[in-house]
Amino acid sequence: MDYIGEHLIPGMFGNLFIATSFSAALLATVAYYFSAQESADRGWAKIGRAAFRIHSLAVIGIFATLFYMLINHLFEYHYVWQHSNTEMPMRYILSCFWEGQEGSFMLWAFWNMVLGNILIKTAKDWEGPTMTVVSSVQVFLSSMLLGLVILGYKLGSNPFILLREHPDMVNMPFTKIADYIDKIDGRGLNPILQNYWMIIHPPTLFLGFSSVMIPFAYAISGFWKKRFNDWQKPALPWAFFGVMILGTGVLMGGAWAYEALSFGGFWAWDPVENASLVPWLTLVASAHVILISRNTGKSVKTAFVLTTITFVLILYSTFLTRSGILGDTSVHAFTDLGMSGQLLVYLIFYCLLTLVIFVTRWKYVVGDKKEDSINSREFWMFIGALVLLISAFQIIFSTSIPVINTVFGSNLAPPADPILHYNSWQIPFAIIVGFLIGIGQFLKYKKTDISKFWKKIWIAAVISAIISAAVAIFTANTNFHYIMLFFAATFAVVANTDYFLRIVKGKISKGGSSIAHIGFGFILMGALVSTSMSKVISQNSSGVDVKVLGSDFSNHDNIMLFKNDTIQMGDYFVSYSNKKQEGVNIYFDIDYYTKAETGEFIKAFTLNPLVQLNKTMGNVAEPDTRHFLTQDIYTHITYADLSPVETTSTAMRSEYMEPKEKMLAIGDTMFSSNAIIILHQLNTAIDRSEYELADNDIIVGAQLHVLKINGDIIVANPLYIIREMMVESIADSLPELGLKFLFKKIDPESGRIEISLSEKQANKRDFVVMKAIIFPFINILWTGCIFLILGSVLAIRQRIKTS
Amino acid sequence: MKKTHIAAIVIIAIAIGAIISTIQDSSTYASFAQAMENPSTEFHVIGELNKEKGMDYNPEINPNVFSFYAFDKDGDEHKVVFNGTKPQDFERSEQLVMLGTMQEEVFICSKILMKCPSKYNDGQEEVIITASTPEANS
Repeated sequence: MDYIGEHLIPGMFGNLFIATSFSAALLATVAYYFSAQESADRGWAKIGRAAFRIHSLAVIGIFATLFYMLINHLFEYHYVWQHSNTEMPMRYILSCFWEGQEGSFMLWAFWNMVLGNILIKTAKDWEGPTMTVVSSVQVFLSSMLLGLVILGYKLGSNPFILLREHPDMVNMPFTKIADYIDKIDGRGLNPILQNYWMIIHPPTLFLGFSSVMIPFAYAISGFWKKRFNDWQKPALPWAFFGVMILGTGVLMGGAWAYEALSFGGFWAWDPVENASLVPWLTLVASAHVILISRNTGKSVKTAFVLTTITFVLILYSTFLTRSGILGDTSVHAFTDLGMSGQLLVYLIFYCLLTLVIFVTRWKYVVGDKKEDSINSREFWMFIGALVLLISAFQIIFSTSIPVINTVFGSNLAPPADPILHYNSWQIPFAIIVGFLIGIGQFLKYKKTDISKFWKKIWIAAVISAIISAAVAIFTANTNFHYIMLFFAATFAVVANTDYFLRIVKGKISKGGSSIAHIGFGFILMGALVSTSMSKVISQNSSGVDVKVLGSDFSNHDNIMLFKNDTIQMGDYFVSYSNKKQEGVNIYFDIDYYTKAETGEFIKAFTLNPLVQLNKTMGNVAEPDTRHFLTQDIYTHITYADLSPVETTSTAMRSEYMEPKEKMLAIGDTMFSSNAIIILHQLNTAIDRSEYELADNDIIVGAQLHVLKINGDIIVANPLYIIREMMVESIADSLPELGLKFLFKKIDPESGRIEISLSEKQANKRDFVVMKAIIFPFINILWTGCIFLILGSVLAIRQRIKTS
Repeated sequence: MKKTHIAAIVIIAIAIGAIISTIQDSSTYASFAQAMENPSTEFHVIGELNKEKGMDYNPEINPNVFSFYAFDKDGDEHKVVFNGTKPQDFERSEQLVMLGTMQEEVFICSKILMKCPSKYNDGQEEVIITASTPEANS
């Protein structure tokens, strides 16, 4: 069959680029390997470099091809069809790019390629061995895109496969239509990824992954070439670069979860989050031990082990998130694309390589055999690194439960309360790390004069203790772990600030490490305060008592809010006033009011949480958060009637429901779902001629003050008439509120009157179920991130300058 | 004894502690029948929604209670009461992982993980051919 309108040329180019990138990487690996041998022919290095250049161009070519396809909506390609559509805003094209596994491997290969080229320029005599490692990594990554079937085994997944040639699509009806391409649209991007964090989080995270490769390449090269004490110096800036970028990437993922997902916080110990946090922890440990090793010549083996473990953990994380093994435990893991075997080979290859190099070389390592003094900086830095390592181990072990089940055939499920499980381990580790960060800078390498040390450190210790005690008393917190962690984090911040001001004398260019450590202290503090003191203000106080359903029902976090109804939540009065549809998104107007001293309600702000309608992938609710300096107010729609706005039949909506009757004296109140009604006074001074009343007829008006949620008062005047001994009621309705009042009766004995109140169906029908949480001082966390990045940049610059 | 040895011993001790605690904290995947035998223990039950029977969610009465019927892997059916709101697109779920305890024939559940027909699910998805484009002359 001849198809009409397909664009086959880009795919041909794409496949050519993939084949080139794979074979050039292979050639580069071989050539660089030979160039790294003793007395190698200089020609090898030239071939290696040329091959890597060709590989680089091919990777750029793959990137450009896919980008071209996405921009031009070439749905004849499966990847484009699967991850994008024509409805989607163009700014999310980048998110589409890396939504799929193939795209994310491409991104990884791209950064590796960029860093590889920087390495060629800067590595000098390290180029041969380090580029052997880098090129070999690129062989593996390029193979992920090959999509070849060799001996019945599928090698990689090709992003340029045609839709009609994809195995899932064989014999689908559209393949019988010659011009199918004019009739189809893509499936579109998963709605949870249509968020600005998803444009920048993956590239940052993958740059972090890539930057871990460089210290790994140096460590392997150092041991391979038996230059045990030389590799630390060039590896060091890269290790700290990795700490900064990977850390930023992980936190951006947290920011995305906080802003776009319904986690109700920025960290939920989700397996996918853990998988990227763990290599960061070991990377921080590794960077510090490389630093020790460079400055003292000790801990060479530990530096090697930590650096290689970090790289292997990156591969292991990739395996966890991409093999589908986390399927039952995580909300956002990738599903298997048939590449888990290949990922496993990749993982095992580098484990074995590392092991072989370590075992064959370790007897040659000549380090400083002298014991570390307990008063030295390197001793405590080393302890800190070990704490980080063990913290990483605890997280990765618990996260690996599904792997353990697969390997041992066990039937363990993840902890029922993961947050409690992880926190009970990680908080003590964080406390130790916090204190070590505080004292670290004040200690000297080799040996510290201990009395001088105490003289310098006591001020910071006292200040932090006072702050912590004050905060603990003020917030009436009795949790020992929390108070200790707060103390440790405050101490880290105060001690490093003190060091920066008194010892570094505020010189920004030299204060990198102090600033980065202050940042880390703030991150600990912000994470602790915002999560431990977060408060769900949407507590469900009304409704049926949930205790009848058993004491397990402890969750009252969601509250139902009728349209135009107002409920007090914390210090706010919250009202749901409107919903509107824009494209696929339904936005809800949730108004927050404050009550002034005069009793007036003043609108403070409106939040617009939304629900995105997505037929293919399921509707997704996205919270909205109001940021203040001292707190964030997070609002999330957990349930709503999503029938398209204003399609419920107008006739039905405008009908009145069963009226509600109440006897009222002057000053008494009654309630509708959207207002408070007060009987203000009875009124007899009414123009009788208008109603054609005789002199002995009676007319009384009930002046009702209808208090709207925003504090406005509307007056309603239903009338009660006795005409020739017959009772008549003249209704007054308020269309704005959908209310109708009838003055039914006067009780002469008590002086009370009966008012009947009817509400329109429309008043009752529309509601949302929502959750609102206050996160106090979460800005401390974000400030910490900025300090950490800034400090790392300064420290790296300083290292590059001095080397 | 060298300080590094002490450090190594401490670390191994903590690591063993972490492993034991993980195994202790971990719950078990079970069927409704197994959950019924131990009503005091929390279990993860993997199952699927019975789409024939109705679901019950009345936010006016209580927005934090949602009930439905589910089959476990053995095909056993039980009523499940979830302490939370009705999840988005619950009707479309293919597989449910429910965490909770069994109390008198009813599974009281505090957490649900839902698997929907996902983007990588073979055969589930269709290429939609729109009729709106004018037919090409053949």
